[in-house]
Parts: sequence; structure tokens; C-alpha cells
Amino acid sequence: MQALIQVNNLIYQYTDGAAVLQDINLTINEGEYLALIGPNGCGKTTLIRHFNALLQPSCGDVMVGGFNTRHAKNKMEIRRLAGMIFQNPENQIVGMTVEEDVAFGPANLGYPTAELRRRVDSALGMTGLQGMEKRTPYTLSGGEKQLLAMAGLLAMEPKLIILDEPTASLDLEGRNKVLGLIKDLHARGIAIIYVTHNLEEAALAERVLVMEKGRIIADDNSANVLSRVEWLQSLGLAPPRITELLWTLQQHGLDLPINLFSIETAGQEIISLFQQTRSK
Amino acid sequence: MYDLGQYIPGESKIHKLEPRVKLIAVIALSMIILRIGKPGIMLLAVSVILLSMIWLARLPLTQVLFSVKPAMLFFLVLFLLYLFFTPGRPLPLFPLGPVLISYEGLTIGIVQIWKFLLLITAASVLTITTNHAALTGGLERLLRPINIFRVSSHDIAILLGLALRFVPTLQQEMRNVRDAQLARGAKLALHRPAEQIRAVSGLAMPLLLNILRRSDELVDAMEARGYQPGRRSYLYEPELTRGEYIVITTLVILTAAIMIYPVV
Repeated sequence: MQALIQVNNLIYQYTDGAAVLQDINLTINEGEYLALIGPNGCGKTTLIRHFNALLQPSCGDVMVGGFNTRHAKNKMEIRRLAGMIFQNPENQIVGMTVEEDVAFGPANLGYPTAELRRRVDSALGMTGLQGMEKRTPYTLSGGEKQLLAMAGLLAMEPKLIILDEPTASLDLEGRNKVLGLIKDLHARGIAIIYVTHNLEEAALAERVLVMEKGRIIADDNSANVLSRVEWLQSLGLAPPRITELLWTLQQHGLDLPINLFSIETAGQEIISLFQQTRSK
Repeated sequence: MYDLGQYIPGESKIHKLEPRVKLIAVIALSMIILRIGKPGIMLLAVSVILLSMIWLARLPLTQVLFSVKPAMLFFLVLFLLYLFFTPGRPLPLFPLGPVLISYEGLTIGIVQIWKFLLLITAASVLTITTNHAALTGGLERLLRPINIFRVSSHDIAILLGLALRFVPTLQQEMRNVRDAQLARGAKLALHRPAEQIRAVSGLAMPLLLNILRRSDELVDAMEARGYQPGRRSYLYEPELTRGEYIVITTLVILTAAIMIYPVV
């Protein structure tokens, strides 16, 4: 597998010298699904802004698809490779109609009209927004607006999509649609970096990074990270409810694994434990 | 209820007209209207043209006239100024003491207000029958020649588009700020002007901060999507047809002729 993002000794500090990111070393491969978690103010948002060349490191290097974010001439190529979704969809919409908004990114890259049309149609198809081409984005629901923002990125045909708490302002239906789309995109081979406070959503990723005070303090597969219940709580993070329940049962002496994050698998474990005790 | 000149979707001939043709027609009509000095055949002709455009666009006349409503007070003041302060032959019964209304004052007053009404109506017919995307797109293509002076038509179109796109968002923001203040017991329906001004300034500050925060995020989102000033491509790139070229050329020649040899 090829490294999509390579971060070497990244340090980022404000002009007054306060360090926001320290000694970050990281490799993210093509097609990975990665969640980035950590308490407020730990530097998550600052870190991901380096992946899109919105910020440049104070020290060290960030390479995206082999392009160094330091050089202004690489910016367009990096932004084509790595798309970014922000928390509030309302502030990401530029176009006056749905289709014009989706076309905004590829139009910036200068693709001709026929190619724009192909990309817009394909992105609207992937996000399930076909039939809304001429709608005014303002009239869409919160979830639809976030899907529109994602369609706008997909039209740029990126290799990586970075999402900064994209479900924070959405209702349950909107949230499910966005998470479902992320799963589809991952299946298509697009790498995902998902920033969240919600560890249940983080559990959907393959790999989880934990940040605290500007450093990466854990980098492992999601089951290993998210089953460390007490440790997560000490960081001020709420573990997935299911994991917390399994952990509590385990503390009471029940023989249960805790690295399960869905109601179905956890339920099955509890039922089979019940049946074992009964048969004894 | 529609706001001033707000787009009303429709299927009429005027709705479907190429936006560049409509823009040029409105500019031409406006130039002709501003050239009119006296009541006469020209004023009548322009009025008839505009009325037939409204009819062709199948717009209810009341709807178009409604868009003039906010300017009514201004028109009234302007009319009174012309009426009382234009020297000339007094009307019968005048002067009444120090008050003098001249024949010329009355005529110029009526003509000037009539001209303003025509200007607003022409602009309204354009904006009511053309959606924002088509309007900014048309404007961008008309402005393309200025790119040789290193002024970017693309940037102007983006600016205009963003401004139009954010109108409903800002209205919503305004309501949110006001509701938040009302919920905390602010009294915004005040009667004394001084109190009203204080209440409005209380709204303005949080609104301004919110707008700045939004703009900041918008700039990031635009940059993240590869925006840079200057050349870009467009989803719609319609070529003008032969007929449209002929219409535009005719309009330009006609307007130039009227500018040079004004018909009263």
C-alpha cells in the first residue's frame, strides 16, 4: 500500500510561540478509514488543516500524495487529492443551485463543461441527491446540505476525504445518511479521516488516533483503542455506551469481551453467556 | 409574499430569453429612459414596451408594481420638491400667498416620477424572470471583455453570487439573534426612536460577529475546494444564437441612434 499522507516531525505553533501540535509523526495509507478523537482543544482540527494545505507546519513536513504542503505550487494538486468537510454545512455552500455548488470545485480546476456535467451527475448519484439539481441549497434539510457538501468534494474525485465533526449539527436521519455515505466511499477505495467526539462513530473506523495536548497519544485499531474504557474516561472522552456496559458487566465478574461496539454482537455475546450458565 | 424584484419561476418567453439579451435590453431601455426630458411619444413608447413585456412574461401587474412600493415615500418627496421649487408659468389660482406651483413644475414632477417608475419596473422584470444563477452567469459572460484590463469577470460573478446566496442565510441569522435577545427579555418593539436605535445596535454587533465567523469558514471551505481568483470553467456555457446576436446588435444600434438623435 502506498502512503497517502506522510507527516514527519510536525510542529505547529502560533506566532506568540504557543505550541499547538508537537512531534507528530504519522503515515496514512490509501483507502484507510481512520478516526481522530480527543478532547476539545487538543489540536485535532489544527492537524487535519495541514492535510489540505490550509495550514503549513512551523517545523517538519507534511506530504500529501507525495506533494509537500509547504510549496504554494502544490496547493491545487493537494486540494484535488484531499477534500475537506467542515462541521456546519451551511457555510460550505457557494453555489446558488445544487448543481452549481457541486460544480464549484471542478470548475476551479478548470474542467470543460462536458466533464463538469459528468462529474456533477456522478457525485449527485453517489450522494442520492439526483432530482434536486435546480433546488436552492438554502431550502435543503441539514442532512441534505451536508450530503451536498460531500457531493461537492466527490466531484473533485479525491483520494481522501477529511471530515471535521460532520454530524454534529444533524438529526438522526441526516447523521445516518452521512455515515452510510462514508461507508460507501470507503468501500470505493477513498481514504477517510473522521474527526469526532462521538466514539460510537469512531468505532466505525478501522484505525483510531487519540490526541491530547497537541500530541498523538494512541494510534491503533479501533477495537484496541475503544475498549480502554477507564483510560478514555480519564481523557474526558465518553466510550461507546455498549463498550461501557460490557466493561461494567466484566467488572462484576461476568466473562465478556469488551471490544464489541454494535448492539447486535454485544447482545449475542450476552445471550450465549446466559445460555452457557443455564446449561451448567 | 415576494420581496422586491424577487425571482418568480415561470415558463414564459421572457423567462426563457437568454439572460445576456435581457441584461442588454434593460441597460438599453434604462439609457433611453434617462434620456427622456419631456412628456411625449418616447415616454409613451417605453411604457407600452414595458407593459407588453410584463404581459408576455405573464406576470401579474400588481406583483410588479408591488416592487415599487418601498420607494413610494422617496417618490413623493421628490415629486413635491419638483412641484414647489420649479420656477415657471404659474398654474391657475397660483400663487397662493408664498406658495407657487408652476406648470413646468407639475410636468417635470410627473415625468421624473414616471421615469423612475419605468426604471424600477424594467429592472424588476429582469430580476423577476431570471434566476440568480442565470443572472450572474449572464453578467459574467457579458463582462468577459474587461478581463483584458486585468479585472476578472469570474471574480465579479463569484462575489455577486455569494452576496445573493447569503441573503436568506443572513435573514435567518438576524431572526436568530433577535429571538435570542427576545428570549432573554429584550424589548425590541419600542416606540421612541432613541430606544429603537439602541435596540438595533444591540442586534448589529452580534450579527456582524456571526457574519465574520461565517465568512471565515466560507473562505476555508472555498479554498479547500481549490478556489483561486481568476479563470475557471462553467457548468453552462451557452453560445449566443444567430437570432440573439441580431437582437443584441439591433438594440445597441437603436439605443445609440436615440442617444444621438433624441425623439421627444
